[in-house]
Amino acid sequence: MSATVAAPTELAIHRSGARRMGFFTDTTTCIGCKACEVACKQWNDLPADGSQFKPGGGYDHTGELSASTWRHVRFVELLEPSPALQAEAMGALPAIPPAGELPDLVAMAQGVGNKWVFMSDVCKHCTNAGCLDACPTGALIRTEHETVVLQADVCNGCGYCVPACPFGVVDRDPVDGRAGKCTLCYDRLEDGLEPACAKACPTDSIQFGPYEELVDQAGRRVLELHKRGIEGAYLYGAGDEPEHDLAGGLGAFFLLTEAPERYGLPAEADSPIQENLVAATAAALGAGLLAAAAAAVIFTTARRGRG
Amino acid sequence: MSGDGGQPGESPLGLPAEPPAPEPHEEPPASTAGRDESWTADHDTTTRDATPALGTRGEPASWRRAVPGAKVALARPGWGDAGWSYLFGRDTSYAEAEPDPDAVAAANERMRSQTPVEPVHGPVIHAAVWTWEVPLYFWFGGMASGASFAALAADIAGDEASARVARKVALATVLPAPALLIADLGRPGRFLNMLRIFKPRSPMNLGAWCLVAFSAAGAGAVGADVLGAGRAGRRLGALQATLGSYLGSYTGVLLATTAVPIWARSRVFLGPIFVATATATGAGATRLTLAALGQAEDHPTHVALARMEAGAILAELALSTINERRLGRAGEALAHGTPARLSRIAKTLVSSGLLLPLIARGRARRPAQNVASLLYLAGGLAFRFAWVEAGKASAHDDDAVALMARGSVTADERLRVGTEQRALSEDRPPLADGGPVKVLRAWSAAVGRASLFAESVLKRVRPRSPA
Repeated sequence: MSATVAAPTELAIHRSGARRMGFFTDTTTCIGCKACEVACKQWNDLPADGSQFKPGGGYDHTGELSASTWRHVRFVELLEPSPALQAEAMGALPAIPPAGELPDLVAMAQGVGNKWVFMSDVCKHCTNAGCLDACPTGALIRTEHETVVLQADVCNGCGYCVPACPFGVVDRDPVDGRAGKCTLCYDRLEDGLEPACAKACPTDSIQFGPYEELVDQAGRRVLELHKRGIEGAYLYGAGDEPEHDLAGGLGAFFLLTEAPERYGLPAEADSPIQENLVAATAAALGAGLLAAAAAAVIFTTARRGRG
Repeated sequence: MSGDGGQPGESPLGLPAEPPAPEPHEEPPASTAGRDESWTADHDTTTRDATPALGTRGEPASWRRAVPGAKVALARPGWGDAGWSYLFGRDTSYAEAEPDPDAVAAANERMRSQTPVEPVHGPVIHAAVWTWEVPLYFWFGGMASGASFAALAADIAGDEASARVARKVALATVLPAPALLIADLGRPGRFLNMLRIFKPRSPMNLGAWCLVAFSAAGAGAVGADVLGAGRAGRRLGALQATLGSYLGSYTGVLLATTAVPIWARSRVFLGPIFVATATATGAGATRLTLAALGQAEDHPTHVALARMEAGAILAELALSTINERRLGRAGEALAHGTPARLSRIAKTLVSSGLLLPLIARGRARRPAQNVASLLYLAGGLAFRFAWVEAGKASAHDDDAVALMARGSVTADERLRVGTEQRALSEDRPPLADGGPVKVLRAWSAAVGRASLFAESVLKRVRPRSPA
């Protein structure tokens, strides 16, 4: 009846018999229309964050993922001025092509390094999810679709999931007091509907489906792009060797053409709790017991020294 | 056509003779300032209306289907509607290439293992949203655990009177801790949700349980002391000190198990540093209390407490120095701005505290010792604030975050954790549906109801302004 009655099985990280569903976001077909952001806000009834343009922000008025922005199309300007442009900036007058001679626009577009790339960022629904490990209330759960969902009626807003996410996805809403993040439209999935952002994407940059099918499609897309000469195409979060995978493999993965840092993504990531918990706890608990023992020794010697 | 007549004042073509007067419209604003102001007002997050369209905030959704189990229009089983929106089928040239997982893996590795990229287009991670309540909570919790160590040590040394005082100090200093912990929550009415599950994987959850157990043991010990049941008091005090070894150190674990570079890369140092601060502040608070109660200056417990705080402070300074040296790029956050100022203040305070009893002579010794304890307490508080603020600054340091991910942020960067710790994520069988599970379920349900009830009593949660 009430969703607060959560089964103790949420302690297990993975559900047996789950069919993993995910997102494949192909940044090479993204046109930066932000329809996914709007669709997400509408379906999930999320308030506006207050858009603002920042200098150097590439006209990206949303800025980052937050408790009320679960899809965010990151606009990245990669400006590498051409030698001609640099020469002009040194004080030379702008070069005006002589009459009758038109600049080769195609060569201009292809030749210089100026790029404006878009990437529709979203919760990665990690296999080793830092937020899921951190959550002290069990508000964050792994669903039957192997997605990570935050139960808003359980979350008490402790804020521990916020620094525990290595991708900067989950955040606490200052007005609402609870954390918020993408649910991979859990409610829509229950009714057999695809998530709102994937439904709205006009260029199929966001694709939704069974995880294995998506990985297969994405791998072939990477090789197709290589064949067409885009050597930098690669997958972020899927298709890696097991020792190199990101947080155990990302349920929402991406096809990128630049280094991950260009999109504000870490080159390597894992659940910070699974990485650090054992070492940190051993050191801390050891130090605690040592301190108690040292205190006892100090007290006994002080008494003996007097007696 | 001209003979058609018609209404006077109308042209033969049926058009009005005079052009219609333009509709009056508003004067364009003289400047755009007003528009900008209204725009800002609309987007002020403090006055934003976050009322959901359906249901009540904080309660289970009230949405219900008109007919139970009714189908959704156009829905196809197995997410068939997703197929409709695929633009790129097998017959397009979208992904024609033959699958080759090895080539994909090689491409991934090539692009992800390049030399560090500048500039990093942040933000990469979010900073902690914790406010002043959290470092203050660390301080009080640490003091309580340090006092419990002192109580246990005094008991072992045979000074039961001082042990009783120390247990009272431990209880008194732990009392503000839950209040601060609750005040920091986004939804304070739901604090009990921390206790709806037992989750050793989450330091926050284990810490909440430890705080409850420590407070209960402390209350029991003080109660037993008051009732004159000395042996029960001592036993509960020993239990409290054991729990205290986690209460004073888990806060370090809590910070270390995050994606924040300066915290995560101090993982084996944070716990010991926090324990050292806890021991020093706990011993200081106990010593001050005993001094106020008139304990003689040359009493062995008094001497031992002074040694305990000085030793803990020396350990703290040594650990901090080593840690800061090895942090490298990740330590930048603690070397600039507010965290650096707080850290300098803390170090100055505790160093003066160490020096003061050494230089004081004669009648000045006793007040000097008391001032030293006060300096340790103040320094401990500054250390707590410095660490929390440094974590926030470090999370905003996009370059440090990116470097940490590439495994080259600290001076002695270790290899990434191997497979043995990933074993935590191995598939586990679901719990059997037996008796204990039913109890757990009932507990979880009861806590859920209690916390929803608490929230309905509290009605409107105090709106939190963004820090």
